[in-house]
This record gives sequence, structure tokens and C-alpha cells, in this order.
Amino acid sequence: MNSPVTSIKLVLLGEAAVGKSSIVLRFVSNDFSENKEPTIGAAFLTQRVNMGDHTIKFEIWDTAGQERFASLAPMYYRNAQAALVVYDVTKPQSFIKARHWVKELHEQASKDIVIALVGNKLDMIEAGAERKVAREEAENLAQEENLLFFETSAKTGDNVNEVFLGIGQKIPLKTAQNQAQNGGRGSSGLRVNDDSRVDLRSGNQSTSAGGCNC
Amino acid sequence: MQAERRKSMAERRPSTLNRSSFSAERTGSAQVVPHLAGIEDPLPNSTPEKVDVVLVGTGLVESILAAALSWQGSSVLQIDANSYYGDTSATLTIDQLNQWVQEVNRGQSKCYDNAKLHISGLMGRGSYKSRDFGIDLSPKILFAKSDLLSILLKSRVHQYLEFQSLSSFHTYENDSFERLTNTKQEIFTNPSLPLMTKRNLMKFIKFVLDWTNQPEIWDAYKDKPVASFLVEKFKLERAQVYELIFSIGLCYNIDVKTPEALQRIRRYLTSFDVYGPFPVLYSKYGGPGELSQGFCRSAAVAGATYKLNESMISYNPDSRIAVFSDGSKVSVTEKVVIAPTQCPKNSGNVPEQKYEVQRLTCVVDKTCSEWFTEGENAAVVVFPPDSLKSGNRQAVQVLIMGSGSDVCPAGTSVWYLSTTESGVRGEMDLDAALGALEESIMRESSADPENDQGILEVDNQGHMTLNSVKLGQSFKEHSQREKLQVLVKLYFKQFTSTPPFEVVDPSIFDVDGAPNGKLIPGASDNGVIYTALPSAEISYDEAITAARLLFQKIVGSDDDFFDLDFEDQDDDVQMDESAVIDDDDVEKMNMNLGSEMSVEPVEFAGEMEI
Repeated sequence: MNSPVTSIKLVLLGEAAVGKSSIVLRFVSNDFSENKEPTIGAAFLTQRVNMGDHTIKFEIWDTAGQERFASLAPMYYRNAQAALVVYDVTKPQSFIKARHWVKELHEQASKDIVIALVGNKLDMIEAGAERKVAREEAENLAQEENLLFFETSAKTGDNVNEVFLGIGQKIPLKTAQNQAQNGGRGSSGLRVNDDSRVDLRSGNQSTSAGGCNC
Repeated sequence: MQAERRKSMAERRPSTLNRSSFSAERTGSAQVVPHLAGIEDPLPNSTPEKVDVVLVGTGLVESILAAALSWQGSSVLQIDANSYYGDTSATLTIDQLNQWVQEVNRGQSKCYDNAKLHISGLMGRGSYKSRDFGIDLSPKILFAKSDLLSILLKSRVHQYLEFQSLSSFHTYENDSFERLTNTKQEIFTNPSLPLMTKRNLMKFIKFVLDWTNQPEIWDAYKDKPVASFLVEKFKLERAQVYELIFSIGLCYNIDVKTPEALQRIRRYLTSFDVYGPFPVLYSKYGGPGELSQGFCRSAAVAGATYKLNESMISYNPDSRIAVFSDGSKVSVTEKVVIAPTQCPKNSGNVPEQKYEVQRLTCVVDKTCSEWFTEGENAAVVVFPPDSLKSGNRQAVQVLIMGSGSDVCPAGTSVWYLSTTESGVRGEMDLDAALGALEESIMRESSADPENDQGILEVDNQGHMTLNSVKLGQSFKEHSQREKLQVLVKLYFKQFTSTPPFEVVDPSIFDVDGAPNGKLIPGASDNGVIYTALPSAEISYDEAITAARLLFQKIVGSDDDFFDLDFEDQDDDVQMDESAVIDDDDVEKMNMNLGSEMSVEPVEFAGEMEI
């Protein structure tokens, strides 16, 4: 199957220890959809999701801990087309922080960014812990801010794949494929193939232009 | 005394070792970085109590060092007193630039002086936002064959960045811009070059690609200016000599010594055609500021801790305790490395910064696409010595960035002018160069209305004339019709301990506290290592050298400096690992030259021996 592949930069945000990395690990290392092995690099994690007639390649940027002391760089938000804002359903403080991150995304990221609000650690409630963030409260925030909303358990895998599928469905693919980068540095556009872009991996001495073909 | 060799990331994190079965297939000594390295452990929400290395400042050198140390296995805390990454290499918004200028003028740092910022009223009228701009404090270009480029690939930091090509190098001579004849490609097709000159140039190019192996040719000139070498040994004309020294070599003055200049000329030539018909690249959205962010992120992935808005108060070399502005303390097992711009109060050991770099940075309301190669968004313009009305002794180098590089909004461009000239003369040279640029762009853009008519023009009597004011033509007779709108104009003087042409003086890293090993009583910075501020060098060449030297100083050897190999393989493109120059490349360059020569066999028959 040679369906067209669209690369989507997805960033993770949320208070420390709400399970941001766990959600991603569950997503990329589970046998998910018809995908082959996930590719995990030092730069970011990638996972392909088959969406029927096309494939989305998520490039997932973990905060790498740089959010702990409010030290995320502008580079982190730039050209992000999707974001997960994660909180812990048993920690009200983490939900307050989630509001902060949504605001931050509206200020720093592209206008068209698709944001999913994710209440994680659902399994803890099932195990007897007290829910501290009401579903309705989160739903209200999602509605006000036009966010996708999911409650998940990275531990059991419950609802995790749905988050990414939901994002995949909401990403405007036509624009992602065709629209050139025209947003400027602040309101960054989309990471599409750009003719003026030089791929540093393509450097080659032996087949360089002007070389002899003999 | 050298520190013992430290254990690497893989050795120090045994939990990740059993995953690396794949590593057995790899050859060489490169550390294989396992799957999921860096994201497996939840990170604590407080500053660590103990780290191997504290880095103060997030400039490019410190950030490269942070990434190298973190992947090697050292625990790193990197802080910055600013609210942004980059320090001396930062890419700033207009608001940040404004704050930066005020801070410089408050006189807290001995690293900058005489900062002047003018922001046009047009900026305030809502047409532009502060965040639409990314202004570099020390803009740089990246040669396609350079140490930094291979480190960007090895570390995967290139994946955070976007690069664009730059092939337009203009030399300003006799009141006009001459677009550089890209030696390898255009010498033969350039009708203005006499055959003899072509032949001599080609001889020189063949030599310079392999100059280090032919000392017998240049040995007598090793302490002499390269200009005499080029004229006497290769019979080159003044125009070619100036192009080679100032545009291709990007040297600052005519006195540059032969070996230094040959190295720099070769750098350009070997970089040509690595990725295409251009010698250099630059990163989109900003230069060293973007790279700093990328290396910091890479370090964070490998476990480094980051804190912005944090400065160091003091370091005690006996207790090895560093104290910070938020009241936290950390115990340091190895070293504290500080950027001179971020030295603690009551410091006594900051190395003297005796060399000046003067910079004039302007945002103008012109696209300047006239100066770019088609499809590109940047250009380099060089004003060689004595080409300006100010009678400049040093070259003025200019980097022009168009809006396609996303450092400024559509319809504008950023002009970065710099010179190694000191004092008032430096400022006068920069002003003169700005005037020449302005005159040139107004001439070209007023002669080129919206719908570009090319080089043909029809006057009001119906006469068709060739447009004589295109780039590369004299514009003495041209009268200026309108004035250039300068949206932002920033002038400042920066000091550095790195002399022009030298990458970094390693002795400054040997200080280890006070000179002669004596501690200065009461100083807050005894026992720390200071880095060097960026030099005037327009390329990134000094950054890796400085970071590697510091790495060696801290770790004891540079064997593990980015000696890593990531376990995954990207599924889209195969990685081409080496961007380091080796003998094979020289061979291939020569072959390329040889094949081009066969196009004009008559001229070159039997002429290739030197």
C-alpha cells in the first residue's frame, strides 16, 4: 500500500509526572493499527498511523524535562500542527496547569494547531483513588477552547490510540499537503516539503552536480 | 593534571544496556545510544543536588558542550540569566532586543558597549509584531563541509532545524557590486575573464584544494601576506586576488598571512557542490540562536537540567558548592563553566576581552531579492579594504537575510553588517557600508517596478534602452528617488578574547581560577572556567573547536565528543555520515575540475602541472 504520507509535528505539554511520556510510549510501542515497528530517535519519536486512504507520520516531541522550570524554547512550538495537553485526573493542580498550557499554545503556536486535552491516569480511579477533576469541567474547557477531549490510561492503554486517531482525523490534510509555509515565524505554518529546504543528510560527494559521469 | 576518563552514557545507565543487542553489529568505538534513551525515567521537579558540570549561559559553545557532555554521560545543569536561550548567540524578537540594549547600557557587562537601537514609528503602528522578527546577536553561516555540520548530523540536532542554501557572494568594488564568479562553475563561461587569467585561476584552485600537502610551493610565504603569494606565484590579477581573499576567503584585511588565507579559500571551495551549487547554508528562523536551542534540547533529551531566568551567585572551589539566584545550591563533581556575559557579581577572574567586533544590524522595508540567487533568500556582500568612502582598512562583511528565511515579515529584510575595525573608525565604516547598500538597493528596486521588466526599459520617448542599473553595473550617474525605510537599526560593539582569524585561544580555558593558580580572595568565581565570546568570524568554525577543547578539559580526552550512533534508522532517507574533509574528497574535487577542463581542451592541454 503506497498511500500518501503526511508528517505531523506533535508536541506534548503538561505538568511533570502526569504521564506525557507514558502516553507516547504506549502509543508508539504497542502493536497499533497495521503499523510496523515504531522508530524512536534521539530527536523525537515517530509513529505512522494508517488513516485509510492516507498515512500520517507523527513526529512526537517530548518536552525532555525542559518544561519543569518554564524553559521550553520557541523551537519546541514552532510548526507544531498538533499538541497533547495532559493532566492527571486525580490532581487538580495539574488541570490548572493544563489551562496555562492551552493559553501558552494559543500565544506561541500556529493558529491552526489541533489541541487534544487529555485527562490521564483513569486506571487510578478504577483502582479506588478519588477523581479530583470532573469530566464536565474538562469538557467545558475543551468546548470553550475548541479542543479535542479524551480521558485515558497510559497504564492499561485505554483510549490512548483514540487520541492520536482523533487528531489524525481533525488535521486538515489537504492544507497540510498543499499549503506552503506562509505563516511567518510567529504564526508558523506547516512542515511541508519546501523547495528551498536543504536536507543535511543528502550531502554527497560522489554524485554531486557537475561531477563526471564516467 | 588530567581528569580520569569518565564512563559513557551507555556505561552509566546499565538499564539501557541490555537493549542494545543491535550494537554488536556496529563497528568502531561509537557509543550506540539505545531506544528510548532520555525518556525512560520521570524527571524530578527540583534542581538536582549534585551534578558533574554546571554551565552558566546558553550560548552556542556552551550549548554544544552541554549536549556533548550529556550524551557522554555527565550530568549537566545549564542555566541562563535571560528568559530566552542563546545568550551571546541569541535570536531575539524586537521586544527582547530592546531589553537587551537597555541591559547593555546599564553597563553590567564588560562584553558589550555603546549599544544604540532605533525602532521606527512604522513598527508601532500595528503593521508588524515584535515576534515577527528574529534578530541574531552574532549571525553565522554554515559551510557545507565543516565540523559543525557533521556534528549536527551525528547528534541528530539537524532534525530540529531547517536549512537553506546561500550562493550569492557579492564583492563591492569601484562603487558597484560584482557577483562572485563561482570559480568551479563559472570561470569558463565568464566572458570577462581573459584566457590567461582563467588558466592561472584554475592552477591556483587545483593547488589550494591540496595546499597542505604542497608546502614547497608556499613555504617561503608562510609569514607573508597571501596577496603577494597569489600575485607572485600564480600571477593573479588584483580583481581575482580580492575575490579570493575577501569573498571566497572572507578575510578581514589585506595583511592576512598565506596559510590562514589558503585554509579559508579551501573551506569555500570544498564546500561547493556538497549539497548543490552553493558553498554555505544557514538555519531558518535565526542562526546560532536556533542552533543553541537545538543543542540544549538534545542535551535535555540526554538528561541535562535546564533553568532560564537563573544566574549564579558564587562558586566555592573548596566545598565545590555553586549557589544560584533562586537560593538553590548544587554540589559540583567536575567543573563550572561560565560565559563571560553571565559572570557572578564580585567576579575576579573574567579573562580580558581585548578584541572588538562592531555590528550594525538593520531591518529595512525592501525584499532585497535583487541580491539573491533565484529560489534563495540570503546573500553575502563584502566591502574589501579601501572600497568605502570612509577609507576602510578592514573589510566590512554583510549578511543579507530575506523574509523567506523567516527572520522577518514579507516585504522586509535584515542586513547584518560587521567589522573587526575598532573604535570610531569601525562605526564610520559600518555607516559607509550601510550607505552603499542603501544606494544600491534603492537604485535597483526603483528601476525594477512591481512587474519586473528585466533588463530592457522603454523611456518616455519610446526609446528602448538596456537597463544600466542592474546589479553589477556602475551607478554613479544614478540619482536616488526615494529614501529607504529603516524599521529597526541596531548598533553595538562586542568584545571577545578571540583574535581575528584564530578560533579560540585554548589558554583561556587553562585558567582554572586565577592566573598563576592563585585564588583571588573574596572573588565569587575562583576555580571556574570561562568560555570565549563569539569572534568576528562569520562562519561557525570556531564553535565546535571551542566546545571540543572545553570537553577535553572537563572529561580528560575528546574521544567521546559526540561519539554516538543512534540505534534507529530513519525510514525515509539514508544518512550520509561524514561531512569531514578527507583525501578522497580532494581527489574527487580534482576529478571534477579535470572534467570541466576537458570542455576547453585547447586551453588546458598539458597545463595542469604546477
